[in-house]
Amino acid sequence: MAGIETYQNKKVILSKERTVPFYLKLKTREAVAAYIFLAPFLIFFSVFFIRATITSIRLSFFDWRLLRPDITFIGFGNYIELLNDSIWWSAVQNTLFFAIMTVIGATIFGLAAALAVTRPIRGGEFFRVLFYVPQLMSVGAIGLIWNWLLNTQFGTINYFLSFFGIASVNWLGNPDIVMQSLSMVTIWWTFGFPMLIYIAGLQNIPEQLYEAARIDGANAWQTLVYITLPLLRPAILFVMVTGFIGHFQVFGQPQIITAGGGPGRASWTVIIYLFQNAWVAFRMGFGTAIAMAIAMIMAVVTLIQFKLINRNVEY
Amino acid sequence: MSVIKTSVSRNTWKIWVYLFLFILAILILFPLVNTVSQSFMTNQEVNVFPPRIFPFEPTIQSYIQVVTQGDVRLDLWLRNSLVAASGYTLLVLLICSPAAYAFSRLNFPGKKILFAILMVTIMIPGQVTLIPNFLLLRDLRWLDTFYALVLPGAANVFGLFLLRQFFMQIPRDIEEAVVLDGGGYFARFRHAILPSSGNVLAALSIFVFLGHYNDLFWPLIVTNTLETRTLPVGLSIIQSSYAGQFRPMILAGAVLSFIPILVVFIFFQRQIIKGVVTTGMGGR
Amino acid sequence: MKNNVVKAIVGLVVVLAIVLGIWYAVGRPPAEEPVAGVPEEEVPVDEEVVPVGEEVVEEPVEEEPIITEIGTGDLHVSFWNGLTGSDGVTLNEMLAQFAQDNPDISITVEIIAWDTLYMKLQTAFVAGTQPDMFLAHASGVPMFAEFGVLRDLGDQFTSGGGWLADDDISETTMYGLIWDGVKYAIPLDNHGRGLWINTDMFEAAGISTDPATAPTTFEGWVELFQKLTIDVNGNNALSPDFDPANVAQWGFAVGEWPNVNFMAALAQHGGSFLSEDGTTVTINSEAGIKALQQVIDLVYEYNVSPPAAGFDSWASFGGGTLAVIPTGTWFRNWAALQEGINSMAWPNWQQGPAPSTWFGTHAFMIPAATEGEDLEAVTRVIQWVTENQAWWATSGQVPALMSVQETLSAEEFPSNILLGQTFTEYGVQDPRSPIVREMLTHLGVALSEALNDMKTAEQALNDAAVLMQQALDRQ
Repeated sequence: MAGIETYQNKKVILSKERTVPFYLKLKTREAVAAYIFLAPFLIFFSVFFIRATITSIRLSFFDWRLLRPDITFIGFGNYIELLNDSIWWSAVQNTLFFAIMTVIGATIFGLAAALAVTRPIRGGEFFRVLFYVPQLMSVGAIGLIWNWLLNTQFGTINYFLSFFGIASVNWLGNPDIVMQSLSMVTIWWTFGFPMLIYIAGLQNIPEQLYEAARIDGANAWQTLVYITLPLLRPAILFVMVTGFIGHFQVFGQPQIITAGGGPGRASWTVIIYLFQNAWVAFRMGFGTAIAMAIAMIMAVVTLIQFKLINRNVEY
Repeated sequence: MSVIKTSVSRNTWKIWVYLFLFILAILILFPLVNTVSQSFMTNQEVNVFPPRIFPFEPTIQSYIQVVTQGDVRLDLWLRNSLVAASGYTLLVLLICSPAAYAFSRLNFPGKKILFAILMVTIMIPGQVTLIPNFLLLRDLRWLDTFYALVLPGAANVFGLFLLRQFFMQIPRDIEEAVVLDGGGYFARFRHAILPSSGNVLAALSIFVFLGHYNDLFWPLIVTNTLETRTLPVGLSIIQSSYAGQFRPMILAGAVLSFIPILVVFIFFQRQIIKGVVTTGMGGR
Repeated sequence: MKNNVVKAIVGLVVVLAIVLGIWYAVGRPPAEEPVAGVPEEEVPVDEEVVPVGEEVVEEPVEEEPIITEIGTGDLHVSFWNGLTGSDGVTLNEMLAQFAQDNPDISITVEIIAWDTLYMKLQTAFVAGTQPDMFLAHASGVPMFAEFGVLRDLGDQFTSGGGWLADDDISETTMYGLIWDGVKYAIPLDNHGRGLWINTDMFEAAGISTDPATAPTTFEGWVELFQKLTIDVNGNNALSPDFDPANVAQWGFAVGEWPNVNFMAALAQHGGSFLSEDGTTVTINSEAGIKALQQVIDLVYEYNVSPPAAGFDSWASFGGGTLAVIPTGTWFRNWAALQEGINSMAWPNWQQGPAPSTWFGTHAFMIPAATEGEDLEAVTRVIQWVTENQAWWATSGQVPALMSVQETLSAEEFPSNILLGQTFTEYGVQDPRSPIVREMLTHLGVALSEALNDMKTAEQALNDAAVLMQQALDRQ
């Protein structure tokens, strides 16, 4: 159709576009190539993720105990039970509190460490490695270590505090501070990762900006607030989003350090709640409904985070 | 490295920085040192109060115990963990790199939608896919095999994003040169993208490896026997039973299992930082 | 850069060398070294009997390597159990002897902590990768039976034409093996609650260590604990100068497996876990609330025990900061290992009008899927172990067969005998229900809440009872 015009009421063929067959068109070839590149990923993704998620969603509408043969359809029954369960809501509360506190704490410490380590001082690299070391340990090891240190009666931390005249703190036994204690441990464990990200981010900030700031007479604080932080915003966003998603799913620390979410249910997180229902009581249908609910909560919070932090960040 | 010069004399802020770093280092080191030193204590000494930081009578007994005690098969567990984690890491690199290339350089129908779907999936917790995948593996008779440890989750979305970020920043001139030489898409991938990716691939490898090596829950569920049991699972099983009784032995096990990772990390840490820097994840 | 690389390589080599060195110097456990020998010779824990230990007790693990792959026979048996700690070691030794006597059979033993074991068994049954045999608690019989995965073992008992004498098993034990009229398990032992006391602390406080002199009322016990709870200034809990914030030695520890403590206490006050017909949860009866309140008072009123959370009873007992630990038959060998701590076993303490204690039964179960040759091999293993139950007593547990119990010598096995008697006389077991684990989880939470001052005894028990009832009704 291209290249046919009317000139003085006569059809004139200006040029005939060579119609290239579909399969030879550049766009097509590119698309085909792209899908070939994507294929392995997509295969694994569909099998182990898409299919699994859809099955889960389906399962959440059934009542199914793992080893029993009967699977009964109960519609929204699982979700209704969940909404009415005060234990669930208290677990959500605990977990939100934990996740937010840990994310903020890890960000602050990570940032402070990154800033300190990137100054022109000696041993920056040593400190950098050292601060990441806890991150290399498994949650089991972390649990072992901190369970001991935070022991109320005979733990090392309380022992040290006694030298300063501070009475024993019931780190893991006081329901009001147990989540804070767990958060503290988690910050210790994980702040190395945000630190690395921030170091990378800091290295990407051009020298000239700092020069310009210095020339303009800005002091350290002003430089930090008006130049460094804004330019680190993508890094901060990344850290906070992934951090929240990770920490919201905390399981190992409460399970191991407070022996299953104690005292009472004061440190029950949503995943512990899931574990108890799916893997102790073996109510698989209910378990998948819980997993769905967790996903929904995380999606909402992540969206909020994006709105708040993400302004003009290219992704 | 960026340098902030302030109007205050140079040395003052240095002192503050050193002080901060020093205190932080103590906070990090103390539990670690405490753990290692406890692994060199006897069962008695560990329970002594007031607690001792360093053993008065050091012994390597726990280390001997942990490698010879029959039900503590650290060697097998370590082998399994290393093999599984390496296999997984390799698989992730193999399938995520081409996919990341496609997302970063090529145009194809459905690109935006696909990307959006992938972004969403990050928010879906692993628990959602756990049970169906477990059942799938059972039906395929892959439970208790290395396939179970390596295959699920190989479509690592985090890895995909990281690599995509990085690839998007590689200058196009090399690629154009390859095209001029008549290279197809694969050639471009191989010659233009991959060579520059050393650091980011190293960074991704470490993150992926670490995550897999330390994973507890999934291997706990899919492995049933000694032959495939991974290190964290093995440790946690003996932990809950022995911890009150033979703490130094458990700690010795934890220390031994931690050393390979530590060494690898120290060795590669510069590449990792460089890798993370160049992805631009830290901001442009 | 070069310096760092060199440093890293050197570090790597050094570390590898150390690790490899230890491994090879000590020697890998040979796969087929059977453990020969009769129990009396090889188990050093006999020292436990003599309060003033002359010899240093060697740890058993140094004497012979512990094997998980036992024997070299072609007929292979896989066996899972939850016996972590020294009792699992003893069982492995027994199995090694079995393999020597039966060279055509080889056994792979997997020891997994109980909680994880139950979970793994379930997933293994789902996956079809279950072991050929396993050892679990008799309280698990209802659950596994309901799943339909257990083999009917009635034919092993003499009443069904087999080798195991029904009348050699006590009624309370036999009751635990049966569900829905079918015998699903073969008992190995009874294990249960008792106290371990630090004899030196008792003597220092002027209290006799003879179990016959133990108090029989709650008040009597409180006084005993008070005498044994001493602050950093040397004042015990009875003294007006006692400083509860600075305790150096505790008399008791309520946080040690509160579930079974509660079950025993409940029975002592005449209560029960479930109603007669097993359909109603009754832990929050008067008896239950009273029982729990007494324990709460030990912590917050009489200050003889620290709160449950954040306290490691075993470590404290071993460290010499705890006088009485509520534990059980399984504690025997570990207690013997604690150098410098002289201890002995006492029956469970009596806080109600009648004495009672909790006990359980370890029992062998065979999956229905085990058949043919495997089934035969498995039966031979179980039969052999049953015939050698006297050996099992060295683990501290009480052999299930009554005839064997009678043969135990009082010098070697004082704790087994003492506690075993209490089980037969007034012991109670876990409630019989397929969802007993789920219910015990709720109970555990309730006790934790009450003992950590988060809820009153009544509130905690009521809340737990509601949840347990829901779970029960859901059945």
